[in-house]
Amino acid sequence: MSGRVLLVAEMHDARLSEATLEAVGKARELGGSDGVVGFVAGSSEAAAVELARYGVSEVRWAKDPRLDVAPLGAICPLIVAVAGEIDADLVLVGGTTFGRDLVGHLAARGSAAAATGVTEVGRVEGGLRVRRPIFGGRATETRRLQGGHAVLALRPHAFPVPEETPVPLHLEMVEVGEIPEVWLSPKRLGIEAASSGTGPGLIDASIVVSGGRGVRAPENFHLVEELAASLGAAVGASRAVTDAGWRPGSLQVGQTGKAVSPQLYVAVGISGAIQHIVGMISSRVIVAINSDSSAPIFKVADYGIVGDLFQIVPALTSEIRRVRGR
Amino acid sequence: MDIVVCVKPVPEAETRLRASSDGSKLDPEAVKFVLAGYDESAVEQALLLKETVPGSKVHVISFGPAPRTEEVLRASIALGCDQATWIEASPQAPNDPLLAARALARAIAVVHYDLVLCGKQAGDDEAGLVAAAVGELLGVPDFGYVVNLRWDAGRSRFTFRRITETGEESWEAAPPCVIGLQQAWNDPRTAKLPAILKSRKAQIARVPPDASTSPASSVPERFELPAPRSGAKFIEYKTPEEAATKLVRILREEAKVFP
Repeated sequence: MSGRVLLVAEMHDARLSEATLEAVGKARELGGSDGVVGFVAGSSEAAAVELARYGVSEVRWAKDPRLDVAPLGAICPLIVAVAGEIDADLVLVGGTTFGRDLVGHLAARGSAAAATGVTEVGRVEGGLRVRRPIFGGRATETRRLQGGHAVLALRPHAFPVPEETPVPLHLEMVEVGEIPEVWLSPKRLGIEAASSGTGPGLIDASIVVSGGRGVRAPENFHLVEELAASLGAAVGASRAVTDAGWRPGSLQVGQTGKAVSPQLYVAVGISGAIQHIVGMISSRVIVAINSDSSAPIFKVADYGIVGDLFQIVPALTSEIRRVRGR
Repeated sequence: MDIVVCVKPVPEAETRLRASSDGSKLDPEAVKFVLAGYDESAVEQALLLKETVPGSKVHVISFGPAPRTEEVLRASIALGCDQATWIEASPQAPNDPLLAARALARAIAVVHYDLVLCGKQAGDDEAGLVAAAVGELLGVPDFGYVVNLRWDAGRSRFTFRRITETGEESWEAAPPCVIGLQQAWNDPRTAKLPAILKSRKAQIARVPPDASTSPASSVPERFELPAPRSGAKFIEYKTPEEAATKLVRILREEAKVFP
């Protein structure tokens, strides 16, 4: 494979998502200087303008407000058509909920090889080779994707956001045409900000601070939240906490909750049941604070503090506020 | 309501993982396979809908090799599913989510369904592709990362929420549709002994492997286990403030997780 790369852009809050920017960097590496074409769908051309700031000059825009919220089945044929037209052998997308679902669609429709959660990718004879964590980060697999076409979603935070390298934007419209009623009949009724409040989303966050049973009561959970706030981190919780209803299930990290892979994971009062470990073990650096020195969480942590979290956590919060000057 | 649930057998979470002799994939020997976590949630969701919508039927379908696939189908019947279909995969077939999605979609396309439920991803390969690919292949809308799925009988619509990076979306969609479920039930039902015994004799429809299937587009080459973590480096301290100062210094200078 040595063809062009089609990069599908996604917006979060009127900006390219961080996952999209990470994919831009990889697309430029795999596609070469003029080998990357961007794809943007929906009512706004802001994504295209931003792509050009990051070095993607050629952008196709399927301009149609219905595509802002339509199910992916409506967008998928447009992307497959553009990929064919520009002779792309690879479609690349950020590893968000949108990106992963889109990969399923494109692979099924375009008979392409597919992989999600990719942490390494390179061209090899006859295709691509990818590496990706599996089993909740307890193992890593290397796969060869063959057959001439591939669709990939990268794992969030696995690749750096590239430097801005502005180029002139060449925007070309994509004919949207009729959208079958089956794609327009589902209705998105509304959207609410993530229930974790002001912090970043759990899956996207580069730092996560989670609290467990050791916090003892819901009224003590603010200690975890304040530590998270001092770090600009997302708040997570163990299953014990969400099962007890101290915090909503959407904050649960673990096998039946969310799998996170931040740069830093801080486990506060979490003993480290395997259920929880599989959701966070692929974090780059793990810190555990627990009163029990034999807690299994210390086996997977890089740094441990054995002690009373009610004393350690407030001290840590104020130290972080001090060094970060806030 | 006719509900189809797609399920997959995966190694139990506590299983010790080991590479196969050629190093390309997980060694399935001595591994206990169970219903994937989110698939178990999908079965629970299907059974809850069945309880609220009179005349509903739950049909569980799985693509995979013997004996594990038949076992999880019987486990689903013991939980209360009405009907099961096993699409046999040859033991040599690589674990390829698109291969699975095509097999599932072919089997679903020939039955009547109002809803197809899948777990959002299986805990082994964590690809999370099946719901979207099945939706695309069936040509019906699919929605991933769904919680709070309900049936609004008055309006003949499903209502649900999707959890994404930017927030929680609320949706309504008419049947048929495909849902990738992210629900985690606190207390999913467990099978009672008489139901387990009965499930052993239950009829399971068998679909032989499709010889016409195109070769897998994705082939596992290497399965690696991380070097065992050496365990935490413990921070020695006399006061909480000293612990905090030392940890922050390590995080900045040694681990470099923030400036």
